[in-house]
Amino acid sequence: MLTLGTAACSSDIADSSDAKDAKVPDRPWEFTDGSGEVVKLDKAPTRIIAHGAEAAALMAYGIKPVGIYADEPVTTDPNLKDLDLTGIEILGEEWGSIDVAKASTLTPDLIVADWWPAEKAHSGFEDGVKAKSKKLAELAPVVGASQGDSILDLAEGYEDLAESLGADVENSQGSKDKAAFEKSRDAFIAAMEDKDFTALAVSPASDLLYVANPEYAPELLDFDRWGLDIVEPDSPDKGFPYWENLSWEKADKYQPDVLMFDSRSIITDKKTVQDQPTWNSIRAAKAGQIVEWPGFWLHTYGHYAVALDKLTEELSGLDDLIGD
Amino acid sequence: MTDQLVATATVAPGGVSPARRPGALATGLLVLGALVLLTAFLSVTQGSRSIGLTEVIDALRHFTAVSTDVSTDDTVTTQLRVPRTILGVLVGAALGVSGAVLQGLTRNALADPSIMGIEAGAALAVVVGITVLGVTGIQLHVVLAFIGALAATALVYAVGSLGRDGATPVKMALAGAAITAGLMAVTTVLLLTDLQAQQEYRFWQVGSLAGRYAPIVTGVAPVLVVGLVVGVLCGRPLNALALGDDAARGLGVSLTRTRIGLFTVVAVLCGAATAACGPIVFVGLVVPHVARAICGPDYRWILPYSLLLGPLLLLGADILGRVMGGDGELQVGVVLGMLGAPFFILLVRYSRLAEL
Amino acid sequence: MTTSQRSSSPTAAATAVVVRRHRLSRHRRAAVVPAALLAVALLLALLTLCCGSVRLTFGQVLGSLLGTGDNAAVDFIVQDLAVPQVKAAIGVGLALGAAGTIFQQLLRNPLASPDFVGISAGASVFAVAGLAVPALSGLSIPVLALTGALVFASAMYLLAWRDGVSGYRFILIGIGMSAFATSITGYLLTRTSLTEAREALHWLTGSIGQAGDTENNVLLVCLLLLAPTVPVLQRMLRNVELGDDTARGLGTRLEPTRLILLGVGVLLTALATAVAGPIAFVALVAGPVADRLLGPARGGIVAAGAVGAILCLVADYVAVQVLPVEMPTGVVTGAVGAPYLLWLLATTNRRGVGG
Repeated sequence: MLTLGTAACSSDIADSSDAKDAKVPDRPWEFTDGSGEVVKLDKAPTRIIAHGAEAAALMAYGIKPVGIYADEPVTTDPNLKDLDLTGIEILGEEWGSIDVAKASTLTPDLIVADWWPAEKAHSGFEDGVKAKSKKLAELAPVVGASQGDSILDLAEGYEDLAESLGADVENSQGSKDKAAFEKSRDAFIAAMEDKDFTALAVSPASDLLYVANPEYAPELLDFDRWGLDIVEPDSPDKGFPYWENLSWEKADKYQPDVLMFDSRSIITDKKTVQDQPTWNSIRAAKAGQIVEWPGFWLHTYGHYAVALDKLTEELSGLDDLIGD
Repeated sequence: MTDQLVATATVAPGGVSPARRPGALATGLLVLGALVLLTAFLSVTQGSRSIGLTEVIDALRHFTAVSTDVSTDDTVTTQLRVPRTILGVLVGAALGVSGAVLQGLTRNALADPSIMGIEAGAALAVVVGITVLGVTGIQLHVVLAFIGALAATALVYAVGSLGRDGATPVKMALAGAAITAGLMAVTTVLLLTDLQAQQEYRFWQVGSLAGRYAPIVTGVAPVLVVGLVVGVLCGRPLNALALGDDAARGLGVSLTRTRIGLFTVVAVLCGAATAACGPIVFVGLVVPHVARAICGPDYRWILPYSLLLGPLLLLGADILGRVMGGDGELQVGVVLGMLGAPFFILLVRYSRLAEL
Repeated sequence: MTTSQRSSSPTAAATAVVVRRHRLSRHRRAAVVPAALLAVALLLALLTLCCGSVRLTFGQVLGSLLGTGDNAAVDFIVQDLAVPQVKAAIGVGLALGAAGTIFQQLLRNPLASPDFVGISAGASVFAVAGLAVPALSGLSIPVLALTGALVFASAMYLLAWRDGVSGYRFILIGIGMSAFATSITGYLLTRTSLTEAREALHWLTGSIGQAGDTENNVLLVCLLLLAPTVPVLQRMLRNVELGDDTARGLGTRLEPTRLILLGVGVLLTALATAVAGPIAFVALVAGPVADRLLGPARGGIVAAGAVGAILCLVADYVAVQVLPVEMPTGVVTGAVGAPYLLWLLATTNRRGVGG
């Protein structure tokens, strides 16, 4: 068994390093990370390993990473599923696991991942990620935009990063996406001016109705800024302020005009609430005024534009006087 | 030495506690029965939504009236609290009785539905339903969980009874643990690769009486009632098994037939209970121990005591969870563990134990 | 229990020769089986080093291990990535296997592995709180897990104490503590955000490679320090198995013995859980499997530890390299260990496994 095993193990570590891309200028490079730290290198990095959504953001500006680690299979990841990933090494398709050995053979010079201010960590280096996966940071410096109170912080952050890496931002898909997004946002604001919607973002489970606290959802804060009044729950759970937990007996505590369901789970959510006898005690629910709540995964102007258009369209047909 | 106390309990059943006279035990059963009724009453009148007693009675009076414009108070009383109470009583009783049977059958204090593969089977069936078959909705989950529980129990028994001397307690216990581990492995693989399923499953896995409404109750109630009637009557064979395999055989008991019969009772009761409410671990494990602490090693008393202690514990915890949670609710599994477990620990610490 | 019955209560027909031969084979087996198991574990470890996601030759690995290689890329993969992983697998496996068999013999219950009597559950609730409660973020998860296991184990011992600790009461208290911990973990899981629930679920499944090098080294140092005491521990276990009366007759005081054995078991479980999370099933299965291989010399701590190490190495390799998507090790230990235990059950006679 031993001989068989060793025979099967052949080396695929190459000694020569690949020739570098020619178009990148050979001058010092620096970028201010979401954490506030300034990362400086002798020259602009070209061999980038990026976290899933961040990779999508960079690719919109023509920056193609050599490796990607995603939180779910790249065929279902909402940011990656429509992109051409040929020639990119997939280093992980599961949250918390990154194949660092394979990553080391790519000889990366930069790792790109969001900075989470609350957790004080980049995506892929949070608590709960295996220590062996976190060794990715030993291969190259990690930079990324900071998660904040708006999705736009991310979109803008990766535009800046792409530019510093030598991308032609003006003539990229990203700049077209940005124009489209600005149009969508203005349309959304205009639609909200005519109406006086209050919206409640909820996540229904069979035993409780979870009401989202917009303070922890940047996209909800964005909508609120642009004229959709998001209801703030008055007594969020003390330990976990992301939600207020309502028993189904108290489902009618808030009476918004519109209910929002997480776009990732909207189908299951609708089935869950069907079985709840008190679901219809919420007037908006009884009238079927339910729209998709675009999830936290949004990173690019392109995706945000699509999500906003959909939301504007769904809201336009609804009654804004049904709630309190 | 306490070991000696324990040893006396095993050697001389009946000689430890004075409360074991039949008269006293029968009175105890009546008191427990009254307490269960009181708990059921509280369960219909108390909850996170405050509804006056008159409104509750009003709602119950036109229970059957079909009206399109009922008040939310009415809906809450008749469609949330009543089914929940019925389910609480039945599932509590089922878990208590099946736990007692299972512990007697395997002669192991640690044997409970969560270790014997029953819950793991139900969980796997639900998760396969969600991920592979795309089944959603709590009612279909119930059917799947029941099938899964029955299949897993059959498998545990089949494996446990392989080999020369059939299903010995040790082999059944280990077979249960092994099959639980194997099934859980598959469940976790499926869950980790499917975020959507994870979202649905993480609420099922806590175990709760909430969100289980009339259709579920009417679905599982007949199964539970039949199982309970048969289960309570299992005292004699369990007493025989408690004497050890050789002694039981000496008494003319057919070990194989008795074991298969008892296992079927456990499978049906636990399967239906887990299917309806998700895995509620603590009740099946602890109620028999409490019953044993009260009435000694005679299963003819342990079983009816478990039958009443189960609902008392489960429904009591459920009511506390409803009242303590403010506008939300605490899941019954959480309350059971946080309040029931310390109570159980104190009971174990300060009472004389009858060992299995 | 059964061992002593077998060897010390021979039927009338047993001649002195048979007894001696029996004892001889028993001694030989008690020495040969653990040694062979440890050798298999080491062999597997070397194989794992070569066949990671980046294939290396035996020469490259050996060169890097001995410091004679000069390829920085190979050195990074072997020294920084693969060796800590293998060290963790061996350490966790040894610790869990040994702790499992100690608990099972001490509490005289084949199900009484540390997974079921509240120690892993205690570690889990602390760790999950660290992941899920915003106020606790930033604390080291392994340290929290270690603290949780030790706090719960001490509480169990103190609560079970009444002129000594009976195994039966300890098990029941363990059930209670386990339910207490599990319910809080469940509560935390439902209340946290989906992302953090996922972090917690990962931790709860248990994975080799979860913790960093410091934790690994602490575990290995502890194992090395405990290694010389194994013969003493083994004798203590036998005394406890003989029961109170016999032990007192031999002049052994059981309570300190029990406390020491429990302490060792708890410490090993706590450290292993801190390093890798609550990896299921290793502690439960290692003892019975080792017993089967040991035959009449059953109960060996080293053999059970070695079985644990082999199980962890294989499970970790399967989890990371063989499955299409990398899985936590704890998922695979069940899948790898369960069929083996089932096969054992199916082929054993009444007295063969676990008592």
